[in-house]
Amino acid sequence: MSFRIPIGPYHPALEEPYKIELTCEGETVRDAVMNIGFNFRGIEYLAERRNYYQGITLVERVCGICSNVHAMSYCMCAEKLAAIEVPERALYIRSIMAELERLHSHLLWCGVAAKLIGFKTIFMACFSLREKVMDALSAISGNRVNYGMNCIGGVNRDVDDPQAVLAILDELERAIGKDIAPIFLYDKTVAARCKGVGILTKEQAFAMGAVGPQARASGYAQDLRKAAPYAAYERFQFDVPVETAGDVQARAVVHALEMIESCKILRQALSTLPEGPFQAKVAPRFKAPAGTAVSRAEAPRGEVLYVISSDGKEIPSRVRVRTPTFMNMATVRLAVLGQELADSPLIQASCDPCYSCTDR
Amino acid sequence: MATTTVDFEKQFAELGLGEGWKWDKGSWWLEPAEPMDVRAVAQKMLALEGRFVAITATERPDHEIRLDYQWDLNGNLLSFVAATTDNKKIASIVDLSPGADWAERETYEYFAVEFTGRATLEPLMLRAGQDVGVHLHKEEAAQ
Repeated sequence: MSFRIPIGPYHPALEEPYKIELTCEGETVRDAVMNIGFNFRGIEYLAERRNYYQGITLVERVCGICSNVHAMSYCMCAEKLAAIEVPERALYIRSIMAELERLHSHLLWCGVAAKLIGFKTIFMACFSLREKVMDALSAISGNRVNYGMNCIGGVNRDVDDPQAVLAILDELERAIGKDIAPIFLYDKTVAARCKGVGILTKEQAFAMGAVGPQARASGYAQDLRKAAPYAAYERFQFDVPVETAGDVQARAVVHALEMIESCKILRQALSTLPEGPFQAKVAPRFKAPAGTAVSRAEAPRGEVLYVISSDGKEIPSRVRVRTPTFMNMATVRLAVLGQELADSPLIQASCDPCYSCTDR
Repeated sequence: MATTTVDFEKQFAELGLGEGWKWDKGSWWLEPAEPMDVRAVAQKMLALEGRFVAITATERPDHEIRLDYQWDLNGNLLSFVAATTDNKKIASIVDLSPGADWAERETYEYFAVEFTGRATLEPLMLRAGQDVGVHLHKEEAAQ
């Protein structure tokens, strides 16, 4: 006999609303149906009724975690539309902000995962470290959530004191490498809770169009920072961590190792920040020539895509946002099949979902 | 020697992805004069290990919907521009590319585009009974 268990829209493990209805035989999940859209704010609709400058402020509020990557992708798309060349220093600063954002997002995920695993010491350690990243972001931008760093043609603020950020980075790198990453890589408690749980095969990940750490934990190696470089990523040496097990532990390992790579990128970017302007000259009343442009960036959760169409006016005629969770969350249905009901919150959380992004 | 856009155009033609590729504003576009067979495109892209990325719907002033099918091929973003016909209908590709499931359901709910050939278009972003084709509809197009 099977039971249908509706969970949500208020979720037991995550702070954001969505609905999943699990069909179980005993304790085993046999099917899952998902509903999203509880956070719909009409961001695309609103962006098609505001000028390009207002659009930056708007899309930065798509998500409270990866706000910077949305504003950056929007600006990159507008710059492509208008063929604006962004100064080298601005490209570096965009990379610095993107990697700091990845660090705080991954630390948040690692903390939440540790809490769900039952490892509250690591939860506390991750959130403590995350505060240091937020301090760095705040020191650069003046803000902790919506940084207001990106503008069409570059960035709004310079990195005045790279050495101060490097000092924070020293501490972060040491703690992540010594305390956080080894827990997810080698700890027996984590392995007992996560190994073999919620497997998503490489074939499934590819077929579902999974992106980011969710795909790379299943062996699909693409990372846009390497595959289709933007900002200043072509100038940096770094690796793309890939695991093949496709389970919750593999996702944790990929997140942990990516933080170490982010530190490497940050160290290079801050040490070699080129001199020069950080904004291109852009007309105060920005109008893009008619046409359509696409931009992509590797957000903390994976590929984010922006499409902007212009008919030559001050307001874009179409703004399309496709977020990473929109692709990744659909894979949860496959990952929970045949799994224990009690593991389903951890499996859902392991794809690092963001419903503000997904619903827009 | 650096690969030029002309080289890519040749490569795409050799791969059977059609002719007339245009490098515009930093990515690749194919907008054929004839209606595009999106299922044939999906089959070809999957055979080449291309990854489905998105469907971008845009409402035209004549009420028809332009649909850009975005695929990733080895880091290159390819946009296949199609359009709905017969009152907002287009063939579904979900049986070929399951990753397009949510994209088709979202496009149906926000633009009322019907994807033919798939079993159901269950509510995803909307709740059962809510009107489709409302949320991202342009008022000026409706007038």
